[in-house]
Amino acid sequence: MIMIVILLPILAGILVPLIPFKKRSHMEIFLEALVVLNSLLVWYMLLHRAESIFTLANFTGNLSISFKVDGMSMVFAGLVSALWPFATLYAFEYMTKEEHERVFFMFYTMTYGVTLGISLAANLLTMYFFYELLTLVTVPLVMHTLTREAILASRKYLYYSLGGAAFAFIGLIFVIIYGSTTNFVLGGVLDVEKIGGRTNILLLIYVIAFMGFGVKAAICPFNSWLPDAGVAPTPVTALLHAVAVVKSGAFAIIRLTYYSFGTDFLKGTWAQNVVMAITMFTIVYGCSRAVKETHLKRRLAYSTISNLSYILFGVTIMTPLGLIGALSHLVFHAVMKISSFFCAGAIMHQTDRHYVHELDGLGYKMPCVFGIFTVSAFALMGVPGLSGFVSKWNLAFAAVESGNMLAYGGIGCLLISALLTAIYMLTIVVRAFFPGKDFDAGTLKGITDPNWKMLLPLFVFTLFIVLFGLHSAPIIKFFGDVAAGIY
Amino acid sequence: MQYIILSILFPIVAGLYLLIRKESENRKTLLLCTGTFLIISAVLVIMALCLAGGGMFTLFNLTDKLPIIFKIDEVSVLFSVMTIIIFLCAGFFSFEYMKHEEKEKRYYGFYLIVLGVLIALCFAGNLITFYLFFEMLTLSSMPLVLHNGSREAIMAGLKYLFYSLCGAYMALFGLYFVERYGNTLTFSAGGVISEQAASAHGGILLLVAFLMLLGFGVKAGMFPMHAWLPAAHPVAPAPASAVLSAVIVKAGVLAIIRVVYYIFGSSFLKGTWVQTTWMILILLTIFMGSMLAYREPVMKKRLAYSTVSQLSYILFGLAVMDAGSVTGGLLHVLCHGFIKAALFLCAGAIIYMTGKTRVEEFRGIGKEMPLLLWCYTIVSLGLIGIPPTGGFVSKWYLAQGALSSGIPVFDWLGPVILLVSALLTAGYLLPVTIKGFFPGADYDYNSLRKKEPSALMTIPVLILTILSVAIGLFPGAVVQYLSQMIEKII
Repeated sequence: MIMIVILLPILAGILVPLIPFKKRSHMEIFLEALVVLNSLLVWYMLLHRAESIFTLANFTGNLSISFKVDGMSMVFAGLVSALWPFATLYAFEYMTKEEHERVFFMFYTMTYGVTLGISLAANLLTMYFFYELLTLVTVPLVMHTLTREAILASRKYLYYSLGGAAFAFIGLIFVIIYGSTTNFVLGGVLDVEKIGGRTNILLLIYVIAFMGFGVKAAICPFNSWLPDAGVAPTPVTALLHAVAVVKSGAFAIIRLTYYSFGTDFLKGTWAQNVVMAITMFTIVYGCSRAVKETHLKRRLAYSTISNLSYILFGVTIMTPLGLIGALSHLVFHAVMKISSFFCAGAIMHQTDRHYVHELDGLGYKMPCVFGIFTVSAFALMGVPGLSGFVSKWNLAFAAVESGNMLAYGGIGCLLISALLTAIYMLTIVVRAFFPGKDFDAGTLKGITDPNWKMLLPLFVFTLFIVLFGLHSAPIIKFFGDVAAGIY
Repeated sequence: MQYIILSILFPIVAGLYLLIRKESENRKTLLLCTGTFLIISAVLVIMALCLAGGGMFTLFNLTDKLPIIFKIDEVSVLFSVMTIIIFLCAGFFSFEYMKHEEKEKRYYGFYLIVLGVLIALCFAGNLITFYLFFEMLTLSSMPLVLHNGSREAIMAGLKYLFYSLCGAYMALFGLYFVERYGNTLTFSAGGVISEQAASAHGGILLLVAFLMLLGFGVKAGMFPMHAWLPAAHPVAPAPASAVLSAVIVKAGVLAIIRVVYYIFGSSFLKGTWVQTTWMILILLTIFMGSMLAYREPVMKKRLAYSTVSQLSYILFGLAVMDAGSVTGGLLHVLCHGFIKAALFLCAGAIIYMTGKTRVEEFRGIGKEMPLLLWCYTIVSLGLIGIPPTGGFVSKWYLAQGALSSGIPVFDWLGPVILLVSALLTAGYLLPVTIKGFFPGADYDYNSLRKKEPSALMTIPVLILTILSVAIGLFPGAVVQYLSQMIEKII
């Protein structure tokens, strides 16, 4: 079962350029049907999960490629599979204006399988394998337009990601040597007897591995690939560079911290302080850069950088509550950011405008898109009643509860970042709806909202933003169970 | 309890309806709609006040620990009555005034939404509910500020937005800690911080208390975060300035009342560095606001600076934490509300009838519109604090409270600054009267034409004037009503 959901999208992706579709719509139906089917399978599997580990291949000793559905995989796989069908639907419409669709959809669909592989991996080695694979299948998506800019960006993306993975690999080796097993176990697998007096070395290795996986999660100073990768078509930026790829980085760090090294080992050490300080810095740094940026998609990319570090901040608190905060932001941010990116994409698709200062007065021409953008902006700011508030509340609650002075400072960073978020998001909203007195509406003639393929995903995401904001108790309880190791 | 929900939801829904409905050709239908909505909202609020009782009412839970609660207590009554009166007056005033502005529909839409949000703030029963509507207030009142769409107005709107949000986030920082160390987030007279928590985590709690005061103080125009107020209030259309300056800033005051007396409790804050620092900031604001108003030549800006200073009168009363001074502060909430609304409406009527905005152009204005300027003069005297107007009574209580509080230095410094500021208030308000009624010997009486504005404008001003005097003449009832509540919280 696990293998089916991972391999099905990969095979389907490979088939896309091979099957001679007569019409474009046939390919659309084929892909959408497969993606929906796969998502249904994933959800079925998550809800009727098997406790056992499924081992595909066994290498020497305790190294193996194996899969397991546990609480963390449920969160990440559930999230990814919920978003993918909508993103695919959106991509059909968006890609009408781009070339080489076949190639695009091939890699786009393959990525689905690889991401599921990461989330369902049962040990570090398997996760590492799919993690590398993810880099490789997404590079063609970044360089899709084949402009010089795109090729440079994809090269940068490749080098950063592979470099990061190499550092993470060091962490992998140390866990294999000093751990009792490489499988993920909540609470960590390190063997105290084996470590002996080498605690500091292991802490150093943890920091190195954190930074390694952190490259994908765009922590400072390894973040510059993410805004550059925004040259990719918007469905890629939205789904991969706001959810799948970057969240894989965050996911890997959660696995590393909670399931491999273990919070008991790390909590209260200098390593915790170092990584927490890095995330705090990234939170503020990302937002400040977003305020300065005038290109819409790049601005959102910087916002992603900062929001990813919200998640990592929750991780570095290293308490179950911190994990709850991290998980809730992981899920809620995914929905908010994909929604705002899709709005940006819809704007680019309908008007060919890329810069913030070109958006004057568009709010009246595209009321749906900008209405939804406003909701997601409010959610990102953390207005109560929307999902962003809940996840920030959980993060801050965990920080206060931990009693760690540095974490108190982290709450300050969250709030500074919230203010900066308001600045970079609401200036767009104000421009769009209040263009000013001497604005000539004639320049916007003929611009309308996009068609249902683009709007439907947007409305669904908005619905979830509001739903999670108003009634989050069940899902937070689920995260609590995950953090407590019940699943 | 359904009355509470109705009184909050009705204006919001009505406002949204106005926003999304088609631009109608007929201005009269729009006004009729808005007028009806305003009156129904007022009736609903009064019904809620009379019939809802004092019980608590949980709407739903935001997360498992964060309920949205509404409750009506004495403070709610005070603030909601003031809100609804001023909104009605300014609303009917704008029916005439908004003739010379564009996009009326949008204006009335947001006007009604703001009304609903303010009522919700008055009725909020715990800190999280309050915070929710506090953010909504900022977001929904911003369109009123940038209404006329000039570059200056949009910049002022953004400034307002970012200052307010900055304040709200500071308050949110405190909220997290209150959630952790307090017994509950529900407003309870005397505070929710247990003695155990106060002794174990006193340092951090004082720090967050200070941050919350500073944060909510942004809305109340407290130094050092006051700069948005003189930028944002004058650029709005006059009736909107009136509600901004008279009511919306009071949301900050309400927040501070809730935080000081219903969350931290005066016994926890009394005599700490928080109280001292806060009072220093307040006294600075009072003096600075008056000084800046005195130097300002543009009428509406002058009034905005005056708001900065007058709001800190109220805050001073709250900061002294003495029964008398709190009574004075709360009375001043009412007086300043009515007076400042009337002043802004006067300024608006002058702009509407003559197009004059600067004080030095107001020569002979009293000859052109005597009734309006009489009202202006009476409420000005009230703001200065000359008996028998409301301002006198509230300042009396403020000074008396400060003198009897026994706080070293501040017990005399506070009243002195109040007096100096009163002098400055006279200095910046009365020149209009003098110029208006006594234009001088070389004034050309032949070209004088009566320009008294229509009844739609004068009657709201008149009502507000009468109310501000009435408080001064019959303060007993209000003071008695307040004293019951104050006994509980001090």
